[in-house]
Amino acid sequence: MRGLIVESQGLSLCGVPRCVRYRHHEIGHKEDAVCNLKNEPMNSQPVIAVQGLTKTYDKVEAVKGIDFAVAAGEVFGLLGPNGAGKTSTIEILEGLRPRSGGNATVLGFDPDRQKQQLKDRVGVCLQATNLPAKMRVQEALELFGSFYSRSISSTKLLQRLQLWEKRAAFYETLSGGQKQRLALALALVNDPQLLFLDEPTTGLDPQIRLEIHGLIEEMKAEKRTVVLTTHYIEEAERLCDRVAIIDEGRIVAMGTPRELQQKSQERSRIDISTGQPMNALALPQWPNVLETKLEQDGRALTVYSSRPAKTLFEIMKWLDQQAIPLEDVHLKRPTLEDVFVELTGKKLRD
Amino acid sequence: MKPYLAIIVMDIKLALRLRAVIFFNYLFPLIFFFTFATVLKKDSADIAFVVTMSVTLGVLGSGFFGAGIRAIQERELGILRRYKVTPITPAPILVGSMVTGWIIFIPYIVFLLLMAHSLYQMPLPGNFIDLLVFISLGLIAFRALGLVIASVANTMQEGTILVQLFYFPMLLLSGATFPSEKFPTVMRIIHNFIPATYLVEGMKSIMLKNHSLLDKDNLLAVLVMVLTVFGGGLISMKLFRWEKEEKIRGSAKLWVLVILLPFIVAGIWLWLKG
Repeated sequence: MRGLIVESQGLSLCGVPRCVRYRHHEIGHKEDAVCNLKNEPMNSQPVIAVQGLTKTYDKVEAVKGIDFAVAAGEVFGLLGPNGAGKTSTIEILEGLRPRSGGNATVLGFDPDRQKQQLKDRVGVCLQATNLPAKMRVQEALELFGSFYSRSISSTKLLQRLQLWEKRAAFYETLSGGQKQRLALALALVNDPQLLFLDEPTTGLDPQIRLEIHGLIEEMKAEKRTVVLTTHYIEEAERLCDRVAIIDEGRIVAMGTPRELQQKSQERSRIDISTGQPMNALALPQWPNVLETKLEQDGRALTVYSSRPAKTLFEIMKWLDQQAIPLEDVHLKRPTLEDVFVELTGKKLRD
Repeated sequence: MKPYLAIIVMDIKLALRLRAVIFFNYLFPLIFFFTFATVLKKDSADIAFVVTMSVTLGVLGSGFFGAGIRAIQERELGILRRYKVTPITPAPILVGSMVTGWIIFIPYIVFLLLMAHSLYQMPLPGNFIDLLVFISLGLIAFRALGLVIASVANTMQEGTILVQLFYFPMLLLSGATFPSEKFPTVMRIIHNFIPATYLVEGMKSIMLKNHSLLDKDNLLAVLVMVLTVFGGGLISMKLFRWEKEEKIRGSAKLWVLVILLPFIVAGIWLWLKG
């Protein structure tokens, strides 16, 4: 057997929301007392609760009555194409836009009526934002830190987000990745228990995207609650405990990435290459196989299965019995993208 | 107070890092001053006229371009959007803009008066502090006016048109660039409705007639400036928009007329008074 490659997509993530304390002190808070402030929801209560949320712009209904809840310490993803209603939803929760209908509470606050209290407690990384060209990196952190009732030392944030070397640089001289790291640093400046990240990696090159993923994973490890919007499947699969797939203002599916994949009617695909040709007529009926395709030269076999692990085991056993040398194997499970296409009939980047 | 101080300190740093700010706040009015002072140099009244012209030029530039256009630019670039996600209200941003403009402008005024005195023998005004207070009031009033324009303009293009509509008539009809005493009757009536007229007349009164800030001749000018500061502050606060996507209704543009109301009333009063 030469080179067994099992390509597994979307097999990660724990999927179980964790119950945690709201405060954490990993990055040197000015006030060291444990903050269980007034109006802070109990751990058993969701950090975010949304019921029948709607948003209408003139006559266009961008959000059409959605419901979801986010637990403390959870990384919750809103996944959907452009114009699906993700940003409208997240901006209502951030207190940036009034809702047209329904109910929403964030950290126990009503985002419409208690904007200032809410904004003081959450961190926000906007999809599109800017800073003055001649503002220095450290100055930006100190300025924005002064707007909150509590803030983290800019030095610690700069070191943590690998911006220390750039602390005296003007904003206009930063690269795209550095600007995004600064945007994340600004979102963390008040040491928030809840972070909203609106498409934090859109437009960045793959290496910088990985760096940003690393930073979000750190936030996750610190037990911060994170609400993330994205149209990158791999981002949702890698980072999110739970995902809501949103399309045309409605949530069409919600669950852990694995749950969503398992619910999918999509089939796993097994690709097999062999050292000598197989006879199409001699291929057995393996269990759970939905479709089988053999290339003309008889050396490449594609099998679609509803239970890929069992099918793969049977195929291996049969090849061994037939003394057919195996050259390569690929197993591709349905991705969130497949689930999305199946549910909406669209591609995510439509 | 923390956000107010932080924004003022930051705005001053940013302003001093921008060459355009240095040019339009200091160099451009100074070039104007030295050119006209050298050409018109006859007596101290001529130099006082040139000083008034340079100060008015600076005040209008600071108000309409320094405060107004800059506010629109920050909204269009998405800078104000970043502030929107923080717990602050528009107040520190607006107050910061007014105070920063004043802090940057006052040294220029002192420098200009000292130059006029030492190079062109213009006597220093007897009520020097009154003059500085009056110019400060005028500067803050025109920055408030600039911020109201920024609040009602939906785009940079709209803002630029509005600013030009205000800037040039004020420059030409206020008596800052041409002596108002030589205006024909119709122009003199229009002159009384121009906001910058009250700035120019107030400065002339303190510099040439040695009147105090609260002299009865200056009360009208002081009153309209104070009303503009508070009215402009309140209106720009009410109409403040953080994002370029938030458009203002066409009818809301009429708020510009509200901020001009003190000048309209003063103009009518002076017209009726003859």
